[in-house]
Amino acid sequence: MPGQNRAYVGRRNRFARLLRSLWRGLREWCGDLAYEQYLASRVARESPGPALTRSEFYLEQSDRRYSRPNRCC
Amino acid sequence: MISVLRFLVWLLVALVGAGSLAEIAVHRGEPINAMWFVAAALGCYALAFRFYSAFVAAHLLTLDDTRATPAERFDDGRDFVPTNKWVLFGHHFAAIAGPGPLVGPTLAAQFGYLPGTMWLIAGAIFAGCVQDFVILFFSIRRNGKSLGEMAREEVSRRGGLIAQIAVLAIMVILLGVIALVVVNALKSSPWATFTLAMTIPIAMLVGLYLRFLRPGRVLEASVIGVALVMFVVMAGQWVAESPSWAHAFTLSGVALAFALIAYGFAASALPVWLLLAPRDYLSAFIKAGAIFSLAAGILLVRPEILMPPLTRFIDGNGPVFAGKIFPFCFITIACGAISGFHSLISSGTTPKMILRESHSRLIGYGAMLMESFVGVMAMVAACAMTPGVYFAINSPAGIVGNTADAAAKTISDWGFALTGATMTNMAKLVGEPSLLNRPGGAPSLAVGMAQIFSNTIGGPRLLSIWYHFAIMFEALFILTVLDAGTRVGRFMIQELGGHLWKPFARTSWLPGMLLSSALIVAMWGYFLYQGVIDPLGGINSLWPLFGIANQLLACVALVLATTIMIKMGRVRWLWVTVLPMIWLVTVTMTASFQKIFSANTRIGFLSLAQSLAAQMAAGKIPVAKIADTRRIIFNQRLDAVVTAALALMILVLIVEALVQWYLLLTKRKAATLHETPYVATAWGANFTGVAHGDD
Repeated sequence: MPGQNRAYVGRRNRFARLLRSLWRGLREWCGDLAYEQYLASRVARESPGPALTRSEFYLEQSDRRYSRPNRCC
Repeated sequence: MISVLRFLVWLLVALVGAGSLAEIAVHRGEPINAMWFVAAALGCYALAFRFYSAFVAAHLLTLDDTRATPAERFDDGRDFVPTNKWVLFGHHFAAIAGPGPLVGPTLAAQFGYLPGTMWLIAGAIFAGCVQDFVILFFSIRRNGKSLGEMAREEVSRRGGLIAQIAVLAIMVILLGVIALVVVNALKSSPWATFTLAMTIPIAMLVGLYLRFLRPGRVLEASVIGVALVMFVVMAGQWVAESPSWAHAFTLSGVALAFALIAYGFAASALPVWLLLAPRDYLSAFIKAGAIFSLAAGILLVRPEILMPPLTRFIDGNGPVFAGKIFPFCFITIACGAISGFHSLISSGTTPKMILRESHSRLIGYGAMLMESFVGVMAMVAACAMTPGVYFAINSPAGIVGNTADAAAKTISDWGFALTGATMTNMAKLVGEPSLLNRPGGAPSLAVGMAQIFSNTIGGPRLLSIWYHFAIMFEALFILTVLDAGTRVGRFMIQELGGHLWKPFARTSWLPGMLLSSALIVAMWGYFLYQGVIDPLGGINSLWPLFGIANQLLACVALVLATTIMIKMGRVRWLWVTVLPMIWLVTVTMTASFQKIFSANTRIGFLSLAQSLAAQMAAGKIPVAKIADTRRIIFNQRLDAVVTAALALMILVLIVEALVQWYLLLTKRKAATLHETPYVATAWGANFTGVAHGDD
C-alpha cells in the first residue's frame, strides 16, 4: 500500500534524523565539533585574517578552557 | 479537555512524589525498597521543575527570549558559542558534577537514610537549584562575568575581594580533602593503585594523539582511551595476583600522598594538552557512563535499603565523623544539595554559551536537580549494603580497631551485626587485602556500586572487577578536579601575586609558573598530609572544613543574588534567596562554632589540641609519639584558625550586605544595576542552536 509505505518512510526518516542529531549532540558535547563551529562562526561573522589551523585551534582552546574553573567538586 | 488531563497528570505526579516521600519518612521495621527513593526524588524534582522553577523564572527573573544573549552578540566560536540547550545541559552537568555528591551522602548515611535523603531533595529544590539558576541568569545579563566580578560591581569592592579569597580557600581545602579520599581508596591496594597509575600514561598517549596524530578529534581519541582504561582495570587483577608486581604497587598513605602532590605539580606545570585535557576527556565519558549505569543498575536490581532510617549516631558520636544532624548532616552533604562552587561554573563558562534566556531554567535549575539525584543514588548505594559492613569500611582504626575481629566486635556492640569473617570474605570477593578503615566514602560507595552492578551483570564472580571499575571511576574524576583545580589555583595565586609584583602575573613566565604551582600544591598538600597522618582518619576534621568553605561560597552567591534582586525591585520575592541564605548562614556559623569550640574532643579542634597538650604535659604520651602529637596539636590549631577565618569572612560579608540593603531599601542610595543594555535577538523563534547550519 503506497500510504503505508509513505508512513514507513516517514518514520524511518524521523528515526534517522533523531540519530543524526544525537550523534551531533554527542560530538558537540565532548568538543569534537569545536573546530568546525569555530570555522562556521568565522564565516558567519566575516572575520578578517587567516583562520587558525585545526592543531593551533585545539591548543589554544585547551589552554583557555583550563585557565578558569571548569570542574566542580 | 487537555487542561483537565494536564491537571490530572500533575496531580498524579504530586501524589507519587508526596506518597513516596511519606513512605520513606514514616517507614519502620522491614527494609524499604530503593524504588521509593527513586520515586520520591523524581516526583519532587518534576513538581519543583514544573512549578517552582517556572515561578522563579517568571516572577524573580522575568526571562526574556527577545533579548540577545552574550553567545549571540559575541559569537567567536571560542568562548562565546551559541549551544543547543540539551548539549549545554550535558556540558554544564559534566562541569558541576564531581566527587562531592557521591562522597557527601555516603558519609552522611551514618545518621541513617532519612536525614540525608530529605536534605538532598529539599535542599536542591529550594537552595541549590535556585542558586545555580539565578547566578547563571545574572551572569548572562552581564556578558558572562564571574562571581567575583559581579560581587565587586553589585555589592562592594570588599564583597568582591571576599569572594576571591573564598574561592581560593575553598579550592585549597577541597583539593586537600579529595586527594585524601583517593589516598584512602588506594592505600595498600595494588589493583586500584596500578589502575589509576596507568591512567596517566594512557592520558598522555591520548594527549599526543590529539596533538600530533589527529588534532582535535576528541571523540575517536576518547574511545581509544576509554578502551585502554577498561583494559587496565582488568589487568589490575594480574598485578594484584603477582607477588612482585603487587609489592611494587602496594603503597602506604604517606607515599601515595607524595605521589599525588607530585602529580598535581606536574599537571599544573606541564602543557595542558599533554595530561590535563586528555584526562578530562576520558573522565567525562567515564563519568557519564558510570552515572547512567548506576541509575540503570538501581532500576534493574531495585535493592532493599538495609540501613535504618535513623541510627544511634544522631547523638553526635558517629564513627565516620562526629557531630549531630544539625548542623553536620548539612555540612557533610554539601554539594548534593547546594554547592557554592557551582556558582563559579554558572558564572563564567555556561552563560557565554547559552542561546536564549529561557534555557537557563533547564540548564541552571535542571542540571542541579540531576546532581541531587546522583546524591540520592549514592545514598541508596551506601544504605543498600549491610550497615555493619558500611561502618567497618568507613570507620577509622582509631575508633573500631584495625583487625577484622576487633572492628566486628565494636560494630556489633553498636547494634549492627557483623562478624570478622564477613569483612574478610567481602575483601576477598572484591580482590582487596582488606576493606577495613577506609574512611572517605569512595571504597564503601564502590562496594555498594559493585554489589548493584554484579547483581545486574556477572554475579559475585565479577564483583572484584566492578569494585575496581567503581574505584577507578571515582579516583579518575577526583584526579580531574585535582589537576584542573591546581592549575586554576595557580592562576589565582599569580593574579593575587601580580598585585605585589607585576611580572608574577604573567602566566607564561617560567619562574612565576613554577613558584605559583609549587605554592598551591604545597597548600593543599599540607592539608592532605595532615589528613593522612591523623589517627582519626583525617576525614573527620577535613570534610567538615571543606563543607563549611563550600557553603560559605554559596552564602556569597546568595548574598549577591539578593542584592541584585533588591536593585531590580523584586523585594516581594526576596524570600526565595533570603531563606536559603539564612539557613546556610545558620548552618555554617553553628558548624564553625562547634568545630572550633566544642568541648567534645572529636568535634572541637581546640579541645583536642588542649587535651593532647595536657596528656603530653602529664607524660602520658610515649616518647616515640611526641613529635607526631606535637604536629597533630599544631594542625588542630591551624584548622581552628582556618575555620574562624572563613566564618569571619561570612560575617563581614553579611554586615556589608545588610548595610547595602538598608541603604537601597530606604532609598538612601540609588539602585544602579550593572546589567548590559537590551539588544533584540536577530534569531527567529525556532532557532535551536545549529548556529551555522552544517545540517
